[in-house]
Amino acid sequence: MRLLFFGAILSLALAAQTQAPKQSRVERGREFLGLPPPPDQAAAERGAKLFAQNCAFCHGQKATGAEGPNLIRSSVVLHDEKGELIGPVVLNGRPDKGMPAFSSMTPAQLYDIAEFLHARVQDAANRSSYKLQNIVTGDSKAGEAFFNAHCTKCHSATGDLAHVGSKYEPSELQALFLYPDKAAPPVTMTVTLPNGQVIKGTLKRHDDFNISMVDNSGTFHSWPDDAVQYKIEDPLAGHRELLAIYTDADMHNVLAYLVTLK
Amino acid sequence: MKTRLGSGLLARHAGFLAGVFLFGSLLPAQILNPAKLLAPPTDTWPTYNGDYSGRRFSTLKQINSHNIDSLAVSWMYRINVGAMRGVGQVEIKSTPLQVNGVLYFTVPDNVWAVDARTGEEIWHYNWVDHGGHLLGNRGVGMYGNWLYFLSPDGWFISLDAKDGKERWKVHVADAKLQYFTTMAPLVIRNHVIVGVGGDAMDVPGYLESRDPETGALQWRWNTEPRPGEPGAETWPDKGAMEHGGGMTWLPGTYDPELNLLFWGTGNPNPVYAGQGRKGSNLWTCSIVALNPDTGKLVWYFQASPHDTHDLDDVETPVLFDGEFDGKPRKMLAQAARNGFFFVLDRTNGKNLVSKPYIGTNWAEGIAPSGEPIPNPKKDPQPDGALLNMPPGGGTNWFPPSFNPETGLFYVNAHEGYSLAYLTDTDEKPQGYGGSGENLFSHSVLKALDYRTGEARWTHAFPGKGWAQSGILNTAGKLMFSGDPSGNLIAWDPASGRILWHFHVGSSVSNGPMTYTLGGRQYLIVGAGDTLYAFALAGSTLPPSSRTQPPATAGSEAGALAGSRAEKSAAQ
Repeated sequence: MRLLFFGAILSLALAAQTQAPKQSRVERGREFLGLPPPPDQAAAERGAKLFAQNCAFCHGQKATGAEGPNLIRSSVVLHDEKGELIGPVVLNGRPDKGMPAFSSMTPAQLYDIAEFLHARVQDAANRSSYKLQNIVTGDSKAGEAFFNAHCTKCHSATGDLAHVGSKYEPSELQALFLYPDKAAPPVTMTVTLPNGQVIKGTLKRHDDFNISMVDNSGTFHSWPDDAVQYKIEDPLAGHRELLAIYTDADMHNVLAYLVTLK
Repeated sequence: MKTRLGSGLLARHAGFLAGVFLFGSLLPAQILNPAKLLAPPTDTWPTYNGDYSGRRFSTLKQINSHNIDSLAVSWMYRINVGAMRGVGQVEIKSTPLQVNGVLYFTVPDNVWAVDARTGEEIWHYNWVDHGGHLLGNRGVGMYGNWLYFLSPDGWFISLDAKDGKERWKVHVADAKLQYFTTMAPLVIRNHVIVGVGGDAMDVPGYLESRDPETGALQWRWNTEPRPGEPGAETWPDKGAMEHGGGMTWLPGTYDPELNLLFWGTGNPNPVYAGQGRKGSNLWTCSIVALNPDTGKLVWYFQASPHDTHDLDDVETPVLFDGEFDGKPRKMLAQAARNGFFFVLDRTNGKNLVSKPYIGTNWAEGIAPSGEPIPNPKKDPQPDGALLNMPPGGGTNWFPPSFNPETGLFYVNAHEGYSLAYLTDTDEKPQGYGGSGENLFSHSVLKALDYRTGEARWTHAFPGKGWAQSGILNTAGKLMFSGDPSGNLIAWDPASGRILWHFHVGSSVSNGPMTYTLGGRQYLIVGAGDTLYAFALAGSTLPPSSRTQPPATAGSEAGALAGSRAEKSAAQ
């Protein structure tokens, strides 16, 4: 079951840029997509049991349909808010379509079943709630060999990457080792002014017309792009080169190796 | 322009034109003369793309490569709608229409009319939605005195262009099923073409033609066939077909001589999980040619058969004529989100060019039909597949441009790497069923030779982030677009040399457009929450255009005077 998963690192390209800070990722995704309010989780859990006992035989354990229709994509379910549409269908059945009546269901039980279905809808529709499955599928020995061949110029398994397998979940670690822009040190630069003065610092902003930096004493500078000579040292340049080299197997192998660095 | 119209077209429009020309002065004035829809956009910009071709090429050249240094801000209009549900600060993604001195533009739930000369607000229409996705809105369509707007919750709304008052509304898409609508309706004669969006919940796509006076349905073309129809063999079963996605969320283009409507369709559903929809999944991720009077499919070309990477093929199908292999051709070109540049013969859909303009390792080859062949190993995997393109593909909704003087097709592209994950391994997956995770990506402007798809020049922006900026070419030997760093830039479209820039603060967020008004050429650009108008500084204009000429006599100007005098707050 895909229930709420707060640690997910799956990207939701557009929403991520515009979120309010205190909302969870799942909540942000729900609002971004204009999905209905979150279902009543306690009711949904009770409803799951009722559904399994009474409905799953025809509609499938996951409500995605079997002999009976898929209920996650059902127009009745998607238009229902609190069981007002789902309830009567369950209670009265659909004799013309072969669905029996569940006339002994109480209003509370009907509500619980409706909330279970709404939770299933949100699990499918809110992609911010999706959870990765096992992604450690590679060969750690082969990954170690790749690491030694391509990564040790800058990194060490016993130095900067010691215990990296304990610090991060594999799902985070994969994107992080491929392109660690969230964990990388800042981009440094050296500027040579026309008078020969050299300023070292951190790149602030660069476009086709201007370049700016904060120097090592914390002072901000900016110049027209063609007024100074500069050298940018991007610590991620090596990672970009490797992105063009990895096979999927290399990638899985390196991850399998890195997770062993406990 | 009329000399370019074929006899068939003239016959088709004959009654209509007769009405305009013979009785125009007797009938109540129409703000938009329908003949403007068939002319190059000069004093009027009557559709999303300026004209039906989608080229976004203006013949205006008062602003040109020799005087570009005198280009200056003429006015600014800032929308004050604040943060919106789920998306925060909205950006102006719409391309304004300019008709009789009034600009009409939108963001989700909002339409404005402002004076095209000064930016002064004439009216503002605000829609109170009940749900829907506030991702963006591309603008309005116009027919005579009426505007057409689509709301996030699927309402097709007609406004009176004079005062922004609502005339009527009809529901065209159900937000409870996770449809939402964002496109600028496209007017072709008495058809208003309306597309839909929404791929969160496995609903089928469709395109509709609606009556401009009543909103009544004229025809509906379904993105998926029905069981037994041609194309049904590309789906495993009825259920997959009925929930197969394929949204129609960007305006298409139209060839009046061929009387063909060209449209791009979106990704199939479930989005990343293709195991429940084996087959090529027609007519998702396709360019289709439809008869605009009947909605019947004339031909199709599938850009991404059995897409599993969210690579909607909705990007503008741009129309132009020219030589190909030594013969004159009527062509259609698209820089597709899947990373390929396609050129087709638009009379029959035959492929002429299929050439990657960014990394396309999701494909393992190109079929004889010109359609890429997906590589199943690069389908989203539970442990991830590494793609040499960003998660959103090579480009997106922001309009490209074709310049007939250079023969180049310009696209703001994104290059990079991403991971494609499959999260729903069920045999009946639902919704997205997976995800794309960005690793590294950056913005690159490319000028592609339509004959080969090769880049004649490329401009890699040094700034971080993505430019989601549309492109405008003009006969002034200028090309305008934005970078990721908040600059509006003018290039020499032939060489790619930067000629001018202005820091608007946030990245250009719409397709720039241009028009002349009172002898003065304006350039309009949306950047974030602000619409900017640029014009040459007054002293550089020829004397004749420095003094405002009186409004030209005639019915259109009369209607305009009425509309502009009336300042109503239609909130």
